Amino acid sequence: MAERRLVWLAVGLIVAVLVFMTWGARGNWGFVFTFRGTKLLALLVVGAAIAVSTVLFQTITANRILTPSIMGFDALFLLFQAGLVFVLGGFGVTQLSSGLRFAMEFALLMGAALLLFGTLIGAARHDIHRLVLTGIIFGVLFRSLTSFIERLIDPNEFAVVQSSSFASFNSFDADLLRYCVPLCVLGISAAWHYRRELDVIALGRDHAVNLGLNHKRAVLIILIIIALLVSVSTALAGPVTFFGLLVASLAHLVVRSHRHATLLPAASLCAGIVLVGGQAITERVLSLSVPLSVAVEFLGGLVFLTLILRGTQR
Amino acid sequence: MRSLVQIAAAAVLFAVPALADTLTVETARGPAEVPASPEKIAVFDLSAFDTLNALGVSVAGSVDKAYLGHLKDAHEKAEVVGSLFEPDFEAINAMQPDLIIVGSRSSEQLEPLSKFAPTIDMTVWGDDLLGLAKARIEAYGKLFDRADKASALSAELDEKLAKARETVAGKGKAMIVMTNGPKVSAYGKGSRFGWLHQALELPEAVETSSENSHGEAVSFEFIRDANPDWLLVIDRSVAIGAEGARADETLDNALVAETTAWKNGQVIYLNAADLYIAGGGARSIMNTLDLLIEGFNKPS
Amino acid sequence: MSLPVRSATLLALLGLAAASLFVGVIDMAPSQLLRDSEALKLIAISRLPRTLAVILTGASLAVAGVIMQMLARNRFIEPTTAGTGQSAALGILLATLYAPGAPLALKMGLASLTALLGSGIFLLIVRRLPVTQPLLVPLVGLVYGAIIGAGVTFLAYRADLLQYVSIWLNGEFSGVIAGRYEFLFVSGVAAVIAYLAADRFSILGLGRDASISLGLNYNQMLLLGLVVVSVITALTVVNIGMIPFVGLVVPNIASRLLGDNLRSSLPFVAASGAGLVLVCDIVGRIVRHPYEIPVGTVFGVVGAVIFLWLLYAKRPSHG
Repeated sequence: MAERRLVWLAVGLIVAVLVFMTWGARGNWGFVFTFRGTKLLALLVVGAAIAVSTVLFQTITANRILTPSIMGFDALFLLFQAGLVFVLGGFGVTQLSSGLRFAMEFALLMGAALLLFGTLIGAARHDIHRLVLTGIIFGVLFRSLTSFIERLIDPNEFAVVQSSSFASFNSFDADLLRYCVPLCVLGISAAWHYRRELDVIALGRDHAVNLGLNHKRAVLIILIIIALLVSVSTALAGPVTFFGLLVASLAHLVVRSHRHATLLPAASLCAGIVLVGGQAITERVLSLSVPLSVAVEFLGGLVFLTLILRGTQR
Repeated sequence: MRSLVQIAAAAVLFAVPALADTLTVETARGPAEVPASPEKIAVFDLSAFDTLNALGVSVAGSVDKAYLGHLKDAHEKAEVVGSLFEPDFEAINAMQPDLIIVGSRSSEQLEPLSKFAPTIDMTVWGDDLLGLAKARIEAYGKLFDRADKASALSAELDEKLAKARETVAGKGKAMIVMTNGPKVSAYGKGSRFGWLHQALELPEAVETSSENSHGEAVSFEFIRDANPDWLLVIDRSVAIGAEGARADETLDNALVAETTAWKNGQVIYLNAADLYIAGGGARSIMNTLDLLIEGFNKPS
Repeated sequence: MSLPVRSATLLALLGLAAASLFVGVIDMAPSQLLRDSEALKLIAISRLPRTLAVILTGASLAVAGVIMQMLARNRFIEPTTAGTGQSAALGILLATLYAPGAPLALKMGLASLTALLGSGIFLLIVRRLPVTQPLLVPLVGLVYGAIIGAGVTFLAYRADLLQYVSIWLNGEFSGVIAGRYEFLFVSGVAAVIAYLAADRFSILGLGRDASISLGLNYNQMLLLGLVVVSVITALTVVNIGMIPFVGLVVPNIASRLLGDNLRSSLPFVAASGAGLVLVCDIVGRIVRHPYEIPVGTVFGVVGAVIFLWLLYAKRPSHG
């Protein structure tokens, strides 16, 4: 049952990819294929990274509402962008090389993630509940500082903050992709490697310990995987805040399974469909006048609500 | 021997057009080598579009919206090759422009766009807005081989500036505020809009340091306490084409009413698109100066 | 709550309110009130409205937070989770785009209406969710808010109004002046209604089955609760902007100190909400005088510190 649904998702993704690659192509095909191919690769990798990290996060925190993005990582990213413009000025920011900026963002997010997870894991009793709350609190803190900066800067500088506040998949630095893709693949394969342990963790801490799992160590490893995936995908593309929540929930709705061997690919496939389809729509229908995350959150959100409401009617 | 001459001749033959084909212009990121007299240009910056239009250069491709009233006609003739933030790379590739110009909001796209055609960043940024705007005019004049028109435009700008300076001289202190719905920000002389104070030698109602280059959140008490003789008002909600917005309503209250500016009707509403969307464009600057001249000349 | 605590809270609140009257850009000492008519005018036009607005906002937001957490049976839900803030932003945008010349009060009214409408639709959706999965409520709330938020971004991005919306919704009292805050009294009334129905909300917090077996009209109370929360949130967001944490921190402190009996804890919740926001607003007026730091930012920092302290200083009860 779950496997058959996976196949359907895969078919959906193939259709989305075909539409994305061929719709409204202009100019010579060689260019269009390489150009769109690069974007496609980035979309799929980032989508899978967000999907996998969200599923992992929800498993170890035993909740289906919070994701690393909602908990404060996106807020930190946005504060960083606004702070950068505040300090360097809008023009100064646009002159930074994309490689340097990526390295700074990646280091910042990774550092924050490890600090947040590390201090809590290091404490005598480790307490996921507190971890989540701490994340939420920092998220609100970052957001309120960001909005203060947005209050002060002039409209032109705001425009610079704005353009880096939304995920963009329109153009990618091929050099960046060369580093990001292997990192994401590494994280995703590690997650796949631990799929059985994840099934056990999902049963709750006591069960997991009774079943002989070194719970603390396993959680730590998974937190590191999450930190890696979140940092790489956010630094590469920018935040798509509700995307993780959306695809993880969609995956649960579609496959209705608690096995990570099914859940992880299902979430990744959903992510691929939503991102690739969303990008095709932003490019062709909305002619790039709005960021992808808007289309993703709007359309994906509607799909999610419809599924929930139809599911409850039965 | 003969072959050597041939080689030399060939070298000269190839070298000469190469020399004539490129020239160096001053851009926001230093001098840049660009092809001379480019025919097909794509522009992702409205102040650049504005100045080019004032020089009579036709633009082949630009962003999806005109934003400025006086650019509407020129914009209609241009093909859409993206938005202010996101270039449509496939459209650019299909168009094959000779030169791409980015600036301010699109400045970040310099690197990706330069894979398609020579791309220059003509941002007008910082507090020396007028100086940079004139430098851009000169650069475009050189680039598009119309130095005469460029110096005429520069002179026109200087003339307008002198007139504005003369008009505002001795008429009191001013304060630049921006309204956001019910809230107000005040901008000092070091800010994005500070050139109005600096270039026009218009004194500030509240002295600000030039390091303080941002818009501050202020209360109406602040405006009442500063008691400016002139209020220069920018309405953040007057975005593209939203005519008749009501900055006056935000300011129309018991505290602002006690300022000299309000009592004497010395409140000038500036055009947001001219000020910050196409902030460094030649025509936009002149429009702003015209508004000021008209406002300050109004008998009170 | 013991009488000393109660009177101490009240005294502190009154002291803060008095201090708030004499903090501002224009210098004014309390002694001037007696002989200076200008000073009295300033109090009437600017200081008193601001102080009242702060108290109304702080108190009603904190009450809305408590009610929302009872309804969702989740301590970490904020009243803005139901898409109210985003709906208000949508109203502001639509009014600005399609009726740019309309008076400010009309725009605010329209935004309050869309905020209520947004919460109303959320309510309709929630009622169709299975009661067996209480987790779905906040989840649907988040996604619902994200959908409306995407709509807002869509419109604002294209019209270059994102900063406008962001500043309008940035919680601060700098724009408050006589004639610009009176809507907030309605949210004060909503908070009083919540207090009058406090016992029934306490029962509601026990869950659907328990409430029904105790003879409560569950659906009716749920509706009342959501209307109260929506009215308060909508009016605050439109008039003042978002102030983070008030609806989250204060109820959590109160429930730690006083337990979940709403009738005895709600006045304390309201007073501490008002007091905390007052402190933050006064700080925001002083730190960068004569400029202001929005109260939302100050509270963001202060609230974060308080919450972290709560979280780490004591052993959490849910440990």
